[in-house]
Amino acid sequence: MDVGQYLEIFIDESSEHLQTLSDCIMTLEQEPDNKDTINEVFRAAHSLKGMAGTMGFKRMQHLTHDMENVFQEVRSDKIQVDSAMIDLLFECLDALDGYLANVKNTSDEGTEDNENIIKELNDFLAKANGEAPKSSAPKKEESAPKKDDAPAASGGEDVHIPNLELTDKEIDDIKSAKDSGHKIYYIDVAIQKDCLLKAARAFLVFKAVEEFGQILVFRPSSQEIEDENFELNFSFVFATSEELEKIEAAATSVSEIENITSISVTDVAMLDQSQAKEEKKEEPKEEKKETPAAPAATPAPAAPAATPAPAAKAGAANNKNTKVAKPVASRTVRVDIEKLDALMNQVSELIIAKNSIVSMSNTDGNGVNSQGFHEQIEYLERITTSLHESVMKVRMVPIESVVNKYPRMIRDLSRKLDKPMELTMTGEETELDRTVVDQIGDPLQHLLRNSADHGIESKEIRAERGKPESGHIFLNAYQEGNNVIIKVGDDGNGIDTEAVKSKAIERGIVTPEQAESMSQKEIVNLLFMPSFSMAKKITDISGRGVGLDVVKSNIEGLGGDVEVESKFGEGSTFTVRLPLTLAIIQALLVEVRGDKYAIALGSILNIEDIAIGDIKYVENREVINLRGTVIPIIRMDKILGIEPREEDPDVLTVVIVNRGDNNAGLVVDNLVGQQEIVIKSLGDYIKANKLISGATILGDGEVALILDVNTLM
Amino acid sequence: MSEANVAEFEEVEKVLTQYIVVRIGSEKYGIDIGYVDNIVRMQKITKVPMAQDYFAGIINLRGEIVPVMSIRKKMGLSEDVFTGKSRIIILKVEERGNLGIIVDEVREVITLSEDDIEKVSNGGSSHGTPKQSFINGIGKNGEELISLFEINDIISEKENSNSN
Repeated sequence: MDVGQYLEIFIDESSEHLQTLSDCIMTLEQEPDNKDTINEVFRAAHSLKGMAGTMGFKRMQHLTHDMENVFQEVRSDKIQVDSAMIDLLFECLDALDGYLANVKNTSDEGTEDNENIIKELNDFLAKANGEAPKSSAPKKEESAPKKDDAPAASGGEDVHIPNLELTDKEIDDIKSAKDSGHKIYYIDVAIQKDCLLKAARAFLVFKAVEEFGQILVFRPSSQEIEDENFELNFSFVFATSEELEKIEAAATSVSEIENITSISVTDVAMLDQSQAKEEKKEEPKEEKKETPAAPAATPAPAAPAATPAPAAKAGAANNKNTKVAKPVASRTVRVDIEKLDALMNQVSELIIAKNSIVSMSNTDGNGVNSQGFHEQIEYLERITTSLHESVMKVRMVPIESVVNKYPRMIRDLSRKLDKPMELTMTGEETELDRTVVDQIGDPLQHLLRNSADHGIESKEIRAERGKPESGHIFLNAYQEGNNVIIKVGDDGNGIDTEAVKSKAIERGIVTPEQAESMSQKEIVNLLFMPSFSMAKKITDISGRGVGLDVVKSNIEGLGGDVEVESKFGEGSTFTVRLPLTLAIIQALLVEVRGDKYAIALGSILNIEDIAIGDIKYVENREVINLRGTVIPIIRMDKILGIEPREEDPDVLTVVIVNRGDNNAGLVVDNLVGQQEIVIKSLGDYIKANKLISGATILGDGEVALILDVNTLM
Repeated sequence: MSEANVAEFEEVEKVLTQYIVVRIGSEKYGIDIGYVDNIVRMQKITKVPMAQDYFAGIINLRGEIVPVMSIRKKMGLSEDVFTGKSRIIILKVEERGNLGIIVDEVREVITLSEDDIEKVSNGGSSHGTPKQSFINGIGKNGEELISLFEINDIISEKENSNSN
């Protein structure tokens, strides 16, 4: 079955449905009678079933099918939602997640049958129907999704063949097939209303029947079918020497087919009224075969093509279900991230080219048309900037896709740890670059697990401390300038700095003397040291020694940083700061001994000229007193390992940079100017200092290194 | 079939490899042409502070940042002296991107067959000169002997230490 091209869509949409299910079941746990939610669960399970069936993932289909059955009963008030059921449903979701993970990795669902889950589901059903539990129910009655349809009535109903308006060639084909002794059938296939991949269905039907003969005429045309340019019915004229039953069986084996109507064609005129007025009717044959593989085909004729061919266009002529809304034209496109990367690279190139024109115009500004030239360059700058912004926006996705799995996680943790707690989230719509969003999930999850496990105290301690019984964990995301801030925290125990201190001393990370002189903040930051786990006992949830250092390095890998604030007994808050964009930033270019360096404009507060005499010393470190704040001075040449100047000039150029609450002044030789720079990686050959976060190419082709001033503070 | 044809046929059967012959100091080295992306003239190399000392820095190769290694320093030879003949050979390495190495001169391209190459195993030779650790064979090109670089050793992290 060639469904590979649909695999990605399947994975994406299944994840969405699973997320919906998870959300809804969470809601149901709170409000077991919420009819809307029940309906939504039902719909999501049904869609999942359909999609899994389409792709041939039988186990997944089976499981969702049974889930759907249970919800059918819930919908009709035969079963009440209770906590046992919620647990079971979550188990189902996990099993489905497992299937989906297998599909992602191997394009196959794997071999896990999850029989016990299916059995439990069926036990629920059986209870509802007052029966003894059945072992399994693969052939359970299928009517569930189609209650609203008219009950099956088949047999003697007249089925007309619409006017197919055959082309001459098609007529010739039919005639010659007939002459060579083949039987000709007109076959109309109705797809279930909620089928998602109609074109794939049609394709599978064609593939199945073509084993027995040849399709002579497609209505709508094969191209239109491929483009999914049809509603629920499609039909074809088929030449075969096999029995009709075989063909029908083959076609019905494709799942999500509502029904199949076949008419034996004895005369071309039956297919095209323009050939003859006379309309012969063969005994129509209604199919109601049910195969275990595709249990979805049920006797529910949607009265296909009951009107004899209005002279309308052939494509839609045989579709009576026109009240089914036309597919809403999709407003979104799924784009491969690689294509976006390519586009981004091209924009980068454009910006580099623009920069080089700018630098040419600056050095050679006395040309004849320099006025007009400058105007054009400014115009070009505006265009490249807005182009860059648009491309960046395309790459942005809300963090929702990552964080919306956390409520479920906290719920499970809450039960497992027997600590009541709830998670509140704000700013899920905050957008970040796709590559960042893809990688931020694990660090955030780690922080939340930490909060649940170590942060929130047990019920008893909370009561003692006069806190509400239920612990509060929060995740707040918002944008701040060129950064996105995600705060994760809790109102729990907070960090016991004394305990951290003694642990650090015990581990030999700091000496007792050092520990005494450390600020609260410095002590808390010890937690980010490699393998510094505070967990007294190792639990399932956290405390395997792989801890905050991994969180920190993950976040730093994304160009961000993480800080923690905590008050013992009141809770802690981790602040994750992530750059909005990864590729192109505004930067200030500075010069140190002839080499140019770029500093992100976002971290620069201002630039000062400081007289050499204003530099004071505090604990042997150079500082300046700038309008009342004491700011440490960092000599760039020193930390870059460059020979110091023989003699300082009278006035130093100091770039004041900021990170969180900290400021520092960087001493540079010269300022070059502000520029939009394209960040390029140094590659992995050079083990550069963390201070150098990349390089960029300047307008004149020169290379400048990018300084990550965050590492200085 | 004439004899000449038979001889030609046999020639094709042998594994032939093309090497770019470069000069570093007074010695000649061969680099498998399959690894070579490009040869560029000397240009401004931007030093990267506090990187491994055998990295001369990075260059701008048509909009891409390419690190440049001083093969002399990596082999424990004297500092590079840039002349008009100095070139940067850009090696393409799967997955790790491009890497430039500085050579004193690019001489020619030669074709060696398996028979012309004498394999050199460099592991564990305790008395060899330091630079041997980056050589995987000696090629005989007529009268000349050409040391053939093992590119994977050049790009690997381990620096030529004098401990052996």
